[in-house]
Amino acid sequence: MFKKTPVAAGIAALASMMIVGGVAVADADNAHYYTEMTPHELADYLIFEADGFFLDQEVQEGGTTHQRMVQDDMHKACSVIGGGDPDQETLQAVREAAAESIVYPEGGIQLGDWERGRELAWSGFGYRVGHRTDDHSARPVGGNCYNCHQMATDRTGGNVGPSLTAYGKTRGTSEAILKYAYDMIYNPHVYFPCTNMPRFGSSGFLDEQAMADIMAYMFDPESPVNE
Amino acid sequence: MFKKALLALPVALAVGATAHAQTPPEDVLQGLIDQIDSTYLTQSEMNIMMMPDNPALWTGMDGEDLFHTPRGPNNVSMEACDFGKGPGVLEGAYVELPRYFEDTNRVMDLENRIVHCMTEVQGFDPDDPAVTRRHGSGSDHMQIQTYIAMQSSGMEWNNPLDHPLEKAMRDAGEVMFYRRSGIADFNCHTCHGQTDKRIRASVLPNKDVGEEWTKAISWPAFRVGHDNVRSTQHRIRGCYWQMRMPRINPDGDASIALMSYWTDAARGQPAILPDMKR
Repeated sequence: MFKKTPVAAGIAALASMMIVGGVAVADADNAHYYTEMTPHELADYLIFEADGFFLDQEVQEGGTTHQRMVQDDMHKACSVIGGGDPDQETLQAVREAAAESIVYPEGGIQLGDWERGRELAWSGFGYRVGHRTDDHSARPVGGNCYNCHQMATDRTGGNVGPSLTAYGKTRGTSEAILKYAYDMIYNPHVYFPCTNMPRFGSSGFLDEQAMADIMAYMFDPESPVNE
Repeated sequence: MFKKALLALPVALAVGATAHAQTPPEDVLQGLIDQIDSTYLTQSEMNIMMMPDNPALWTGMDGEDLFHTPRGPNNVSMEACDFGKGPGVLEGAYVELPRYFEDTNRVMDLENRIVHCMTEVQGFDPDDPAVTRRHGSGSDHMQIQTYIAMQSSGMEWNNPLDHPLEKAMRDAGEVMFYRRSGIADFNCHTCHGQTDKRIRASVLPNKDVGEEWTKAISWPAFRVGHDNVRSTQHRIRGCYWQMRMPRINPDGDASIALMSYWTDAARGQPAILPDMKR
């Protein structure tokens, strides 16, 4: 499936070379090693070993900021220098892994509260860390859909993704289209491998209720999306 | 000379343009707009109109005083510091950063080089607020950065890649630009790989369109929404925050690698310094 890369091993070896007196630090003494690494090795070294980021901060999902920089199989497969897609075989592997990741709610896909979904679709709150950190006990995590999608036209949405205006009105609410929308929110790589869109379900970004409410905002005939 | 002239701002820029090779930032921007049909470059008519009265010009003027005044325990001015073209030489220095500095054996951006100057030449303690306060129009850093950067307005981005470390850092920065990770799966390319794309109402610059990218990386800029002059490091910090990734360390080589790459991506395009942004 996914090809294993020897990058990690190489980094470990180089990093151990650089540990002098038990402490690996990013300073001038190490600089000449930079030129002995591949660009990928150096990037990983700068991120993880050379104090490039504050990696010890607690994150909302549990654990530390370190894990936010660790790449999973999709990340590695879809990080193509210069943009564009990887080869067909890799895309297929991404697609299959996405399909395996999708979990459906017990009792099937339900539409929730479109009014709550409307606020969640608008809200960019959640999972931000660093100089200001989102406190998830203060507000629900939003889906930030409007960043990339136009939805109801009373608010301005972005166009990085396609317009979702009148989504339910033009597509109906068949089981098939509900499943498609659920899959797209949960893990869109199942239909568009290496898409820009986050995997809101399989990453745990949105919970089941938030997904149901956002889907209601897309499909409910009363929702301003379908006016 | 330049010091006196800056007291009258519009005059100062005119003088700068004749005495040196700088071009007023509003003229640089207009030149780009004339060359290419870009919704990114033209998205804020108000900002374009306000450019001659950019509040960052005043920040730069404050920076001029700070730069030329003997300061720190060693009581020396920053004229003794080398920003890549020799001690005290600022004209065109900024568009050639980040670059390799032999005295530190390190590729450095403007912010790190100012830290180096403050601590090693002027003798400031690394914990002195002059060194540690990096953000806000009132900070020494923003004022000094703006003053230095203004001496490169209209000049082409041209960070050197001759030294092996400069090349290595640029190439690692390229990997970082395309490196997806985290709970939201983003990389820089998610937002900066296409033309005419918007996040909500804001038009995004495309890294692969030089005329757009030079404006994107033209910091310091007065950010109207923040009511403050902001730096390159501030922009990078904001992007990683939005991407749900960890806070980047402005003193670390990761941020400088990314900057080396993105400056290379704007190579040959004229810098807009200081700029105004939303």
